[in-house]
Parts: sequence; C-alpha cells; structure tokens
Amino acid sequence: MRKKLAVSLASVGLLCSMGPVFAHHSVAGEYDVNKPVTVKGTVSKIEWTNPHARIYVDVAEPNGKVTTWNFELQARSALTRLGWTGKSVKIGDTVTVEGDRARSGATGGHATAVLLADGSKVLMGANNDN
Amino acid sequence: MRRLLVVSVLVATAVPLLAQTQTGRGGSGAPTVGTVNTAKRAAVPTGPVPRLPNGHVDLDGVWVGGGPINDLEKDGGLKPGEIDSLLLPWAKELMSKRDVTLEPHNQCLPMGVPRVTPFPYRFVQNYTDKAPTHLFILHEGNIHTYRQIFMDGRKHPDDLDSTWLGHSIGRWEGDTLVIDTVGYNDKWWFDRRGHPHTEQLHTIERWTRKDMGHLENVVTIDDPGAYTKPFTVKFMATWTPGNELLEYICQENNQYGVQTLPGGLPAADTGGRR
Repeated sequence: MRKKLAVSLASVGLLCSMGPVFAHHSVAGEYDVNKPVTVKGTVSKIEWTNPHARIYVDVAEPNGKVTTWNFELQARSALTRLGWTGKSVKIGDTVTVEGDRARSGATGGHATAVLLADGSKVLMGANNDN
Repeated sequence: MRRLLVVSVLVATAVPLLAQTQTGRGGSGAPTVGTVNTAKRAAVPTGPVPRLPNGHVDLDGVWVGGGPINDLEKDGGLKPGEIDSLLLPWAKELMSKRDVTLEPHNQCLPMGVPRVTPFPYRFVQNYTDKAPTHLFILHEGNIHTYRQIFMDGRKHPDDLDSTWLGHSIGRWEGDTLVIDTVGYNDKWWFDRRGHPHTEQLHTIERWTRKDMGHLENVVTIDDPGAYTKPFTVKFMATWTPGNELLEYICQENNQYGVQTLPGGLPAADTGGRR
C-alpha cells in the first residue's frame, strides 16, 4: 500500500508538470462550487472511461431510501497518470466522495476526492476548471 | 502554479463517523477526512535543444500547453481588450451571446487552432534520410485526433472545402517550424469565452523549441471576416519527460449536460456568421 501511494505521489509530480487542467469542459458551467457535497456510500457501478471516469455510489438515506449518486471523475487518461487503475475502486467498496453538486440539482456532481473506507488509500478525482 | 494541493495522508483516526450524506467541505460541520500537504511541481528540463541527424530541431516529446483554453486574449499574453477591441460588430454580438455550456468542444468536437486542451500532444517528424513530406501532431484529447502538415513544398489548393482543422503547410525558418493554415470551418471556438472566427481565418504558427523542456508557439491570427486587423498571441508549451500519449475516446461516455445542466443536453453552438 505504501508503495502504491508512493507511485501515486510520483505520478502526481508528473501530473503537476503537465499543468493543472484535466476537464474537457468548463467545470463551473456544469457544477456549482458553492454547493459542495460529501457522500458516503457503497460503490454500485464504475465506468473506467473517457472523457471522464465515473463512480456511482448508493447512499442510504435516513428514511431507508437508497439514492444513487453519479460522480464525474477526471478523464481516465488523467487518472491513469495519477496512479489509478480500473481496479482502484471496486463495486461494493464503501467510499466517501467529496465534490461539487450538479447545477441541475440531480444527485450527482464532480468529485474532488474519493476516500476508501479503510483509511489506507486516498485518491484524487479533482476536475480543475482551467 | 508552482505548488499543487495534494491530499496525501489520510488520518484514519481523525475521521469522525459520517452521516450517510453530508454537505460542506472543510467548513463548519464538514468531516475532516485527511490532511492537505503541498508537493513541489516537477521541474521542466532546460537542457540543450535536441536535434535530428539532418540538423533540424527535434520536436519529439509529449507536450502540454502552448495554446489557449479559457481565454485567447489572456492566455496569449495580451491585455484585456486587445483582441476584443478588434472584433467586428457582428462578431462582438455573437461572442456576447455565446454560452460556455454550448461550446462544441464539450460534445467531443475538435478544438481548432491554436487551442489546446488539458491533454498532451506529440509532434511526429520524418525520421528517414529523405526530405520530409509530412509532419503530424497527435492529440491525445479532446478529441483523440491529429493535425497533418504538408512539408513537401506544396501550396494551399485554390478551392478548399472547409474543415475543422484546415489545410496546413509547413516549412523551417532556421530553428522555427512555421505552420501556415487556411480552409477552416467556422464551427469551433478559439476558447471558452467564445472568441469567434470565420472561414476566412488564416493562422501562422511559429513553433520554436527554446530548450529541452520549453516550446514556444507564436501565432498570428488573421481573419478579416471577424476582426479589424491581424493580431499575434504567444504561448509556451512544456515537455513532460517520461509521459506517453494514452487512449482517449471522447465519444465513449460523454455525459456532458445530460443530467447535470438544467434542461439536459444542450445542442452544440457551431454557428458562425449568420
């Protein structure tokens, strides 16, 4: 795990040298940075794709209803450079996702961080609006 | 940006029991999920300019930057108004009406010239002992595409059907690669601000590798259909050693606007002069 994190941080160095921009669109046009959200739930689907990878998180509300949140991550290619693989997050994992909500009000947003439940792994998913 | 915020260490013991859903990040009531450290940006190499066996500058490498994304004027090193003041009335009106959520680039359409994307690109030169006939610029995204530059001395055809990336001819002026392009369509935007152009657009890019890690792109933009006179913008691309182009298929899973914009997926605004 320590090795994986080291690899990830080394990749961050590479990413930094590439510039801070990894969204193919204007994030601010689609998501509201003034409406941050933190969601904890179970991963129900992962799309390891471009132009953005996506993680779907089932969240049990206090009333028992389960709501699926659709979070946009960076492009798959950008995440690869950060050290992600298609197996970094698995279906059934408990995750905490931080991000900004969609302007439409849909249960979704763009993720700025994805944290695994065991606390041993931190994955960035930020889309910088540049 | 010399430093990048990096979420680097998760302090498990500091993670409080989270409610199933919480709002707020880092503010009052928000969970503390990690510490934020800074990491130094990898230095861009500054060694001597590499050369091919025939003496030409070797442009090989995976580059990022070197063109506008958000604002042609600002990204191109100009002061506010220096380009905007050159807009013809119809172009100024069109730009004022453009909505960033409608830009064609969001829907996996090409970015145009000299626009770049957050993703890297690579020059592919002719490495044989024959005179160069073509040069290609391979773009990872967005979109996964290429520019073809004819290096065999041909001229632009007299009658061109307009295309997204135009017809490009190139030549070397000393250590500077000069790419002359006409034949563009008017469907793409110079930047997210929506600077427009017409099919009369003529661009001249001057690419000069200043050292191992820096590639300057000075671009003259001449479009009498949209601007009162030509203007020049200047950019700097940086080399990312150890990097490689990766697959990037924009059409694979582009959900732009489908659920996230009020009203759903907008139609791309590819309209030029009407």
